[in-house]
Amino acid sequence: MSEEHPKHHDHGHPHAHGPESDFAPEIQDASSQALSEALRSSFAVVKIVMVLMVVAFFGSGFFTVGPQEKAVILRFGKPLGEGENRLLGAGLHWSLPYPIDEVVKIPITEQQIVSSTIGWYHTTPEQELSGEELPAGPSLNPAIDGYLITGDTNIIHSRVTLRYHIEDPFDFTFNFVAASNTVQNILNNALLYTAARFKVDDILLNQVSPFREAVQNRVEEQSEEEHLGIIVEQCDVESRPPRQLQAVFDQVTIARQNRDKALIDANSYTNQVLSQALGESSMIINQASVASANYVTNVLAEAKRFNDLEPLYDSDPALFTQQYLVKAMGEALTNVEKWVQPTSDNGKSTEVRLMLNREPPQPKVPPGS
Amino acid sequence: MKRNLLTVIIGALLILIFVLLLFVFQVRQSEVAVVTTFGKPVQNINQPGAYFKWPWPIQKVYKFDQRVQNFEDKFSQNYTRDNNNLIVTVYTGWKISDASAFYPKFLGSVPAAQSALENMLRNAKNAVIGHHDLSDFVNTDPKQLKFDEIEAEIQQAVQADLSTNNYGISLEFLGLKKIELPESVTQSVFVRMNADRQRLIDKEQYDGAKEATIIRADADRQAAETIANAQAAAIRIRGEAEAAAAPTLRVFEKNPDLYIFLLRIEAMKESMNQKTTLIFDDRTPPFDLFQHLPTNTVSQ
Repeated sequence: MSEEHPKHHDHGHPHAHGPESDFAPEIQDASSQALSEALRSSFAVVKIVMVLMVVAFFGSGFFTVGPQEKAVILRFGKPLGEGENRLLGAGLHWSLPYPIDEVVKIPITEQQIVSSTIGWYHTTPEQELSGEELPAGPSLNPAIDGYLITGDTNIIHSRVTLRYHIEDPFDFTFNFVAASNTVQNILNNALLYTAARFKVDDILLNQVSPFREAVQNRVEEQSEEEHLGIIVEQCDVESRPPRQLQAVFDQVTIARQNRDKALIDANSYTNQVLSQALGESSMIINQASVASANYVTNVLAEAKRFNDLEPLYDSDPALFTQQYLVKAMGEALTNVEKWVQPTSDNGKSTEVRLMLNREPPQPKVPPGS
Repeated sequence: MKRNLLTVIIGALLILIFVLLLFVFQVRQSEVAVVTTFGKPVQNINQPGAYFKWPWPIQKVYKFDQRVQNFEDKFSQNYTRDNNNLIVTVYTGWKISDASAFYPKFLGSVPAAQSALENMLRNAKNAVIGHHDLSDFVNTDPKQLKFDEIEAEIQQAVQADLSTNNYGISLEFLGLKKIELPESVTQSVFVRMNADRQRLIDKEQYDGAKEATIIRADADRQAAETIANAQAAAIRIRGEAEAAAAPTLRVFEKNPDLYIFLLRIEAMKESMNQKTTLIFDDRTPPFDLFQHLPTNTVSQ
């Protein structure tokens, strides 16, 4: 206890030896005092470092999420939040440091593209680009060539390209090891399933877009069922007959075009004949109307003349007849070739012989014209 | 004392962390886990979170990815009930549902699990495809198509097998990927398709000619009808005109002799409209004027 007295500076007893005897050990060991000083200062450094470490520890919880990604915080492995809230959008976020929290970033590309891997014959991208293809063998090898069997048990080639985006990246990432492969499988299945319901001619020609829609519907149905969390944007289908039968399929197309052409010709014939008939019938009616009008006018004119002539006739029928006949003959004979045969002097009848060339028959003029 | 307290707290914290690391483990959202005590599975974990365990070597934790994995089998040849040989490939989505069952069966090996799955798929396909006709696989009539039923039957068969064997695996979905024919059969399908096409070509030609003929005949008939109607209308119009003129014609009845005379004159004029040569003898008026003229008749 006595050693501790000097520390109580307020007791007020001036001890000449006191301070000397008290400080003696420190003075004796100046080096230990230096060590203590050094320790103290280094302890301060350690404290600063520790504070920095704590700051760094908590600061490491900050992370950024880019525009093309979402993030999920797993606290002890469990996602934080529920439903849509589980997903963190672009920006700066904070989480507790590992191992309490773990940040999982999910890349979200704008649009994903996947193509079917069945249904098409063996070809390479180079061949596709150049448009050349190997000549087809007489049969299809199931190990190499893809094809589909249609509802009417024919063989057809068909392929489909699907464009989709991820609507629910949480399910897409946390429920599937390789969700895009699952999408591809669903696409293949949709193509197979739809082809099995359609006829070959419908796929190729008559129902091209219903076929495409049916494929897309099946894809949507199935991805809904498996909770893939995708939205189909576009679905493009390409189909063609087997190359082995291309020529004969083309012939069918030509035959169809010929048939269409024959129908178009027949229809234009119909138009032509009907408009001709309409023209002719309106002409017939017009002519009849004109002729009727003329007839009525003529009858009226005749009647008037008859009324005019009647008094003259009544006064002396023989004279009138004679006069009228001569006048009429004069008019009539102006345009006629005439041959006057004089009577023979001896009172015998004269014989005239004519050589006539048969004239070509004149076209008949329809009555009333 | 204050410093001591801080030291104690920090020390305690460090010990706590150390103990936690020894005694606690995490299972992530996409994982399932099994805890074994001296190699024997004792606890099955299906939910994500932090869990307690005794430290090694007493207890061990095995974690597995519980997300859906894709698996496609190799193609196999199967006979349908109506003896068609089909080459069928299926794809599946399966996942580890029960880690405590899965771990001892396959020692956590996914490839081992998939090869077991493949065997089960082969058996299931054999059984199911043999119970269906080809027309169940492909059919234009949606009511007769049994595509979905076939998929469901295979899936049920495999799922039953999985449950019986207690593999700790569940089959999430199964679909047909390919249905193909043996190579030699494709050739005969081509022959049939070719014949079909030829028949179609003939039919198109025949139908085209037939339809065109029908259309043309119909056009001709309509045209003839139109003209016949017009002619009927023309006759009616004339009839009306004659009816209209009939009262006027009575005028001529007053003097039939004059009328007949005038008609004869008109007829005569009419007959001379055409190119006509008339031969008269010189007693016919008005040529009787020539009768006593000196002519060259004598010299003839």
